[in-house]
Amino acid sequence: MVRFVIRRLLLAVTTLFAISVITFLLFFAVPSSPATVMCGKSCSPERIAQVEHRLGLDQPLIEQYTTYMKGIFVGRTIGSGDFVRECPAPCLGYSFRTDEPVTDILKRTVPVTLSIVLGAAVMWLTIGVSLGMTSALRRGTLFDRMAIGASLVGASLQVYFLGLVLLLVLVYGSAILPSPTYTPFTENPFKWALGLLLPWITLGFLNSALYARLSRAQMLETLSEDFVRTARAKGLPKRTVYTRHALRAAITPLITIAGLDIGASLGGTVITESIFGLQGLGRVAIQAVEDLNLPIVMATVLLAATFIVVANIVVDLTYAFIDPRVRLS
Amino acid sequence: MGALAASALSVALVASGCSKTTNDNGGGEAERGTQAGAISYDTNDNKAPAPAVTGAAKGGNLGVFLPDGFEHLDPQRAYVNVAQLADQLLVRNLNGYREDGKGNLKIIGDLADNPGTDVNKDCKVWEFKLRPGLKYEDGSPVTANDVAYGVARSFSPDLSEGPHYIQSWLADSSDYNKAYKGPYNGGAELPPGVTVPDAQTIRFTFAKPHCDMPYAATLTTTAPVPKAKDTKTEYDRHPFSSGPYKINKYAIGNSLTLVRNPNWDANTDPLRTAYPDTFTFTFTLQADQIAERLVADAPADQPFLSWVNVPAAQLQKTTTAGVKERVVNGPTQFVWYFNINNQRITDINVRKALNYALDKDAVLKAIGGTAAGTPATTLLSPTVAGYAKYDVFNAPATGDPAKVKEILGSTTPPALVLAYSNNPRRAAQAEAARKSLEASGFKVTTKPIDPTNYYTEVGRKDNPYDIYLGGWGSDWPDAGTVIPPLFDGRQITPTGNQNLSYFNNDAVNAEIDRIGTLPNAADRQKAWGDLDKKIMTDYVPLIPAYYDNNYTLTGSKVGNAFVSDAFGLPGLSNIFVKQ
Repeated sequence: MVRFVIRRLLLAVTTLFAISVITFLLFFAVPSSPATVMCGKSCSPERIAQVEHRLGLDQPLIEQYTTYMKGIFVGRTIGSGDFVRECPAPCLGYSFRTDEPVTDILKRTVPVTLSIVLGAAVMWLTIGVSLGMTSALRRGTLFDRMAIGASLVGASLQVYFLGLVLLLVLVYGSAILPSPTYTPFTENPFKWALGLLLPWITLGFLNSALYARLSRAQMLETLSEDFVRTARAKGLPKRTVYTRHALRAAITPLITIAGLDIGASLGGTVITESIFGLQGLGRVAIQAVEDLNLPIVMATVLLAATFIVVANIVVDLTYAFIDPRVRLS
Repeated sequence: MGALAASALSVALVASGCSKTTNDNGGGEAERGTQAGAISYDTNDNKAPAPAVTGAAKGGNLGVFLPDGFEHLDPQRAYVNVAQLADQLLVRNLNGYREDGKGNLKIIGDLADNPGTDVNKDCKVWEFKLRPGLKYEDGSPVTANDVAYGVARSFSPDLSEGPHYIQSWLADSSDYNKAYKGPYNGGAELPPGVTVPDAQTIRFTFAKPHCDMPYAATLTTTAPVPKAKDTKTEYDRHPFSSGPYKINKYAIGNSLTLVRNPNWDANTDPLRTAYPDTFTFTFTLQADQIAERLVADAPADQPFLSWVNVPAAQLQKTTTAGVKERVVNGPTQFVWYFNINNQRITDINVRKALNYALDKDAVLKAIGGTAAGTPATTLLSPTVAGYAKYDVFNAPATGDPAKVKEILGSTTPPALVLAYSNNPRRAAQAEAARKSLEASGFKVTTKPIDPTNYYTEVGRKDNPYDIYLGGWGSDWPDAGTVIPPLFDGRQITPTGNQNLSYFNNDAVNAEIDRIGTLPNAADRQKAWGDLDKKIMTDYVPLIPAYYDNNYTLTGSKVGNAFVSDAFGLPGLSNIFVKQ
């Protein structure tokens, strides 16, 4: 177990390192000059050189990379003379565009994305899995047909369509719900939930469709397995057979997918954030790419990668607890 | 750089001229003949307090929706018009614009008691006297030293994002850092050429005449900053208020809330009526959501206005009763040109033919039609002082292929490379342009360029393109910030050009020099207008495509919203919440 965790962690670090190098190289492979973008109107060659110097873009690539990585682990000093700034570890640099510390930008955007994704995940998992399981147990009934029919509709819709329709109907049209906003949970949990309700419903409905279909299929497959027949034959109550035996086995693959889904969504739900006007990680990342804002591009890419890597490890660990057949070694 | 150079700066950079602004219909604005800006030394004009707005009421919270936060609120670093407009509430500058929404624009003293004295009548020495009783948010007095300190810090390479006019004039070089790098790292307190004879007086001495100084002094470069309050790069988060409002809460990237500055005295301020009690800026919504919300006009959104144009997809919703009355519609300081590369297309007849061939109407329809702009025939925007309406070609806005054939005669139309910035709007426009040029017999190849790299590419003197779109907005409403940067051929360099048609003509260059030294503003304006027409009549370096337009919405409780000719967006200094 411990060896497994250590091995996975080492692999995770290597992955992240590789991603950081690739991002850095890709950024500079593009024939664009961030200094020109930041410099704005009436930009003379001298001024571009000045901006490049200030942003550290006049340094050799390897030095820029090592400075950046050093900043993450031990912090660094940015600027010179009266403009020296101490950037303590983990230092992700300053936004080229607004001079804001990147860690501050993450501090205000990560909670937004986290709230959207985790809230929506709770919604899609509870709705999706319970619908799917129930359908499987009542296979062929009207409930089954309706649930699976509805999930087909859900699986075919897109967030930019359903989200906009819900916004038009529930917010702009009838004003049943307030415009989506983000209020920190710590400030007002009720407002937090109310402001995010619409994205949760949208994402929850769309993704639950997939999970309903998946869990139905998994459950049906499990129910036809020998060990379930054995459990039934032993005379165990139906309830115990379904919840203690069948459910545990059926849910394992769902956890893999859910873990990866959540991990990937945390990296940025750009479309959802854009549609509902929430300033999360995804929108910041897209804006940064458009602006050639290297420190933010690096930070968001690394963070998104971290989410996925961590989600993978968590999924693997969870397996061991849920499915006794899996042994980590 | 064509002011829309970078996607990061896609909001217009600064100021300009003069528009009649309608608050009564959604259909575009009335024809404008000529535009006269005025630097007013009239003591009545320069008197504080600012004239009351008819029907205005005090109080309430006025909201502004804009899709991105401010890059820089620090007055010395602000260059984008949204930041400069927000700064009008927080800081006062030496001069400012008084606008009434009916097309009258006057430059008067803001901190200064008049728009600047030309001491020797040669535009080389300018003196500004501050009004008595000016105070900061902590009650301490505003002094001429603080104005000088603000100008000094604008020289710093670490705070260099703002306009560079005054710095370049003082140092007599666009590479002004050779002479001075700001008051930091042991640098002198005062920049070269700035003196402060007493606490109420500041004097600027230039090596060359700069008769535009009253305009340049409206820029937030001249906002006062007390040395003790200078937090350098941190100043962006909290500029020390000398204006009617101060920062209450600034969540960068999310929102900004301003509350009244109790130490601001209306009797010292000729520009701002400051009716609302608070202002709230919201940066999280995108243009289409802003449009939807303002169309819906829910009670909470009624005192809000937008600083971003209604996207093409939502335009139809703004034409219904109840909404169309709330459209703020008027030209901005920007003009879009199809630049013709004069180094490659040397035959003036071909350039004339191109002017007949282009379907300006289709180019506009590609981005939203009349809401996005109106077809242009002049080099100057209708908002710029000196603008005089003319049309050399009298071609229909949809183009005139017959006339093209007539001009070209037996000459074969050359094959053209049309370059464009590769985003959906510009791609649609390039396609419309290509179609219309081909309908006139030109063979056109289109060449997409990465948006972040577009102006760098077309700004290279040896670029391999024949025709490409470029926008330009004046920094203040005078032709002096349009014609010289775009048509003075002596400024052409190997890279980073603004003269994108690479037009270089000795007679025009000489005329630019002559106009720059005319001491009388009215003479200068007239001469710029004449030169505008002469360039398009005798040389035809480019195709004026369209005048950019502001088409934004307000909620039903916003009063006195009109497009500022100086900034190309609804200003906030005299706006109010209907009670």
